[in-house]
Amino acid sequence: MKKAALRKIEREARPWLFSSLSLLTIFLVVVFPIGHTVYLSFTNMGIYNYYDYTLIGIENYVDAFSLGSASFLRSLGITLLWTAVNMVLQLVIAYVLAVLLNSPHLKGRKVYKALLMIPWAMPGYVSILLWKNGMFNGQFGYLNKILSLFGAKADFLSNDVLAFVSCTIVNLWLALPFMIMIIDGALQSVNKELFESASLDGCNAFEKHLFVSIPSIVPIIAPAVLITLFTTFKQFDIINLMTISPVGTGAHIETVIVYAYQQAFITGNYGYSGAVATIIFVLVVLSTVFFDPSFRKKGAKHGAK
Amino acid sequence: MEPNKAISPEIARRKAIKKAKTVSKVAGLQVFFIVLCFLTLLPILYALGVSFGESNSLLSSSLSLFPETWTVDNYVKLFTDYDILTWFGNTILLAVSTVVLVLTISIPAAYAFSRFRFRFKGAAIRFLIILNAFPSVLSLYSIYTLIRELRLSNSIYGLLLVYVGTMAIFGLYNLKGYFDTIPYEIEEAARMDGCSTFQVITRILLPLARPALAVTGVMVLIYVWNEYIFATTFVSNPDFYTLASGLYGLQAQESTGSWPVFFAASLLVSAPILAVFMLAQRHMVSGLSSGGVKE
Repeated sequence: MKKAALRKIEREARPWLFSSLSLLTIFLVVVFPIGHTVYLSFTNMGIYNYYDYTLIGIENYVDAFSLGSASFLRSLGITLLWTAVNMVLQLVIAYVLAVLLNSPHLKGRKVYKALLMIPWAMPGYVSILLWKNGMFNGQFGYLNKILSLFGAKADFLSNDVLAFVSCTIVNLWLALPFMIMIIDGALQSVNKELFESASLDGCNAFEKHLFVSIPSIVPIIAPAVLITLFTTFKQFDIINLMTISPVGTGAHIETVIVYAYQQAFITGNYGYSGAVATIIFVLVVLSTVFFDPSFRKKGAKHGAK
Repeated sequence: MEPNKAISPEIARRKAIKKAKTVSKVAGLQVFFIVLCFLTLLPILYALGVSFGESNSLLSSSLSLFPETWTVDNYVKLFTDYDILTWFGNTILLAVSTVVLVLTISIPAAYAFSRFRFRFKGAAIRFLIILNAFPSVLSLYSIYTLIRELRLSNSIYGLLLVYVGTMAIFGLYNLKGYFDTIPYEIEEAARMDGCSTFQVITRILLPLARPALAVTGVMVLIYVWNEYIFATTFVSNPDFYTLASGLYGLQAQESTGSWPVFFAASLLVSAPILAVFMLAQRHMVSGLSSGGVKE
């Protein structure tokens, strides 16, 4: 009797024992800080109350949504614009380039593909700094050298619109290689016979793309597109390094994540920043539960693997 | 076909025109891709040119990507005036230790999640997926507080702990995905022969899971090499600078003189990871697909 009970306990404990180190580390480095951030969001912690902060209820949340401090709502708007613009451009450009890369008789296809993949392999922050300091720099940036031929000059990163465009260019530069690779891979599986029968039915090139290629690649690229959607929404490094760190350039195009970071590390409103972080976290959790296949009901699950 | 051609020169002419059109179309495409590749690589080519130029070359208005006088001074300065060897050393130490630790804690955990049936397993996996979706920069201040309270700020160990914790979910999930694809029968046979669980893992499972181990390791390595926000936020002592904090610091010195040095450093930082990436790219897909996780 006793032996059986012991064995049962052992069997119950074994998986947790095996994963204890991993789960403990995750708890310490991931779970605890999230909990602490949520806790701070209900306090008035800031540079003026760094040690003697108190719980103030949902004041920070009210602040975030009140019109008086429209900055959070503004950053939410910028985030939506950023995500939409980048996703559309990325999908359209990647599709066109992938199709062109697959055109018959094209020589050196492999070389082009390899060269176009280089931005993906570079360390992201290095690429961003190369763009910022090499291309967009107000004094000796390459783009300004080109502009000076026409007697013009631009401060790309101090103006909201130009900074947004510049950041979008950098994001496309960083993200397009992955998307081109995914779409290029998907195009290989498009049924050539469907294409031919479409030609026989009198479809022109554009219609063939619209009615044959695109519908057949959508299911293949959907997971990658979803992942890219999340990364674009969560993109922090580009806007942070281009316009905020180490010195602000004057443009204000903070997306929600950059805004939360800025509120903590630059303005020193730790409580308020925590509230913004918590709101984003809730949004991320909800969309993960909605989109991730592992949260679907059992019956619909077999698409997952 | 021959007689046809003779009979109708009109068709032949059309064919020739069509062929000429295709040729010019392909030629146009060829030019397009050459220009596109050049434009894509422009930021890197410009950095390359400046890094081999003299320190005042930036001020010239010439559009040439080649320096007027070639020099390796900027690269030499990184070793004499700056401590790039320390940065390299710290980054390599951090990257290798993170890879080893992540694999060490993830292998038994992934085994448990792949092979055992236990209560709350599904819930735990879903919880981990949600946690993984959380952008860690949002809790950056709280992570900093944790590191400070553990007295690990301004040391390599603080960064190491954060990197291991951040990549632990990916390690567990990716390895579990691969372990799931290895049939249980192989393990059963080994158990019949008297292998303990430890032996089953080390002698049977791990050799079979080599592609997944390699990919997980490379992904962790790339993550550590490319991470800058923790490295610049948690460490202010130059002795513990990584490549990221070192490069970031070079940029902060706004005098024009140091820009060529900055570009030289950027390229030195990128070179090893470019090599790793190119070597690993081919195998990436096979080791990742089963895990089906991001990045």
